[in-house]
Amino acid sequence: MTARMIMKLRVDTARRVTPRVLHLSLVHPSRPELPAWTPGAHVDLRLPDGRIRQYSLCGDPAERGRYDIAVKREDDGRGGSAWIHGNLRAGDIVHVSAPRNNFPLAENATRHVMVAGGIGVTPFLAMARHLAASGADFTLHCCARSELEAPLLGELRALCGGRLVPWLSAEGRRFDPAVLGRSEPGTHLYACGPQGLLDTVRAHAAGAGWADDRVHVEVFRPTPDLSFKPEPFEARLASTGEVLHVPADRSLLAVLRERGIAMPSSCETGVCGSCVCGYRDGIVIHRDAFIPVRDRQDRLAPCVSRARVSVTLDL
Amino acid sequence: MTDTNDAPAMVEAFAHPAGKAATAVPGGAIGWRGVLLHIHIAPSASYEMEELAEGLCVAGRGIVGDRYHAGSGTYSKKPDVREVTLIEQEALDALMRNDPPLQDGVLRLRPGDHRRNLTVRGVPLNHLVGRRFRIGEVILRGGRLNFPCKYLEELLGMPVYLPLYNRSGLNCGIERGGVIRPGDVIELAE
Repeated sequence: MTARMIMKLRVDTARRVTPRVLHLSLVHPSRPELPAWTPGAHVDLRLPDGRIRQYSLCGDPAERGRYDIAVKREDDGRGGSAWIHGNLRAGDIVHVSAPRNNFPLAENATRHVMVAGGIGVTPFLAMARHLAASGADFTLHCCARSELEAPLLGELRALCGGRLVPWLSAEGRRFDPAVLGRSEPGTHLYACGPQGLLDTVRAHAAGAGWADDRVHVEVFRPTPDLSFKPEPFEARLASTGEVLHVPADRSLLAVLRERGIAMPSSCETGVCGSCVCGYRDGIVIHRDAFIPVRDRQDRLAPCVSRARVSVTLDL
Repeated sequence: MTDTNDAPAMVEAFAHPAGKAATAVPGGAIGWRGVLLHIHIAPSASYEMEELAEGLCVAGRGIVGDRYHAGSGTYSKKPDVREVTLIEQEALDALMRNDPPLQDGVLRLRPGDHRRNLTVRGVPLNHLVGRRFRIGEVILRGGRLNFPCKYLEELLGMPVYLPLYNRSGLNCGIERGGVIRPGDVIELAE
């Protein structure tokens, strides 16, 4: 994956859009234009203590001067969102990477069906704006507890009109995956939200004949896998033949770095794809949420993935 | 980014194999007189460059505030010279004319996008490996030719690798520190 520029951006506005969601609009202190992006893209916020968090851009890609994000306070999360809610105010400087898109709209699709859960709605705001402007055929299912807790619902209504289908559980309407129907040619399915919703969408899609390459899921959190027990293995560098030992308690990425092999990285939890590199032979235990199945035979994410006994890296 | 915990292996400019070899070879342009146009630093690897109205050069270290002065830049495995990096405005001008025509169109790099510290005009950088030269009160030593990197292409999202080949600038060590400012005259110190 590619390296991305990190910029010091200024918080232009910070407004609470629901009791738990903070909308931030970020601008460059001196440049009128920021790096371009496409709907579905995210940026990394680099917090002062070194933590890095990904947030989808929810504004308008045509508006080149600002990046809009919406951050939900997760009190039982890893602390990044709580820090943002507690500290960022208009006028503050925040360190932000240039955007990357791991969740793009399928260019060849004739119809787009999107399922958003809670704050997972953010990438779909940008997508819906683009699809509505280009007259594309789409439906956005938006799941939340209540009207009050549904982030940016008013903006979505204005963008989508009748193509927005709200599912508010407090009103007794829980999302029913059966509405997604069977797979039809040219229709692509997208989902972003809590793990439970993603599992529901995936399970329905698998049962209703949707091919993997027409189901797109945005994950900002590694798949929980508490039973995984790491084993040591050897990593061979194809360029030099050097063999590095990766102990059970260290990542391949950490061992490569220690050897002085500079690898770009960002989330280090198998989500962002920054550190992905090629490999040749060996049995790899893929533990990331980024590399598509079709690419897993020759690409791996050294931050979380490991190998059985040994692997040869294209490094 | 690519920060490593290991202290980067840096060498003095004329101890680098390229600089050392060149000191023994006579030649190169003389009688020129150039000017410093811009000073840029990046606080850490991958960070956007910031322009300075004046830069404090520290002998044997770098420009205060820059990633290589702080030891938080992107490093190769081999011992290197990176206290200060320079690029010719003339090379950037050529990119803007798409000369040579390697790309679909022109490449417009804004100041600092090239990620070199000093942008200079009228300075034959490719002649200065193994040479000492002056920027205002500061004396630099040309250690090796800079080489375009894929990393820069990725950061910029622009295909600059090939058009910058052989005109990517000069990596220098600082022999005598001091303050530099845009407008400072640059000339050979010999």
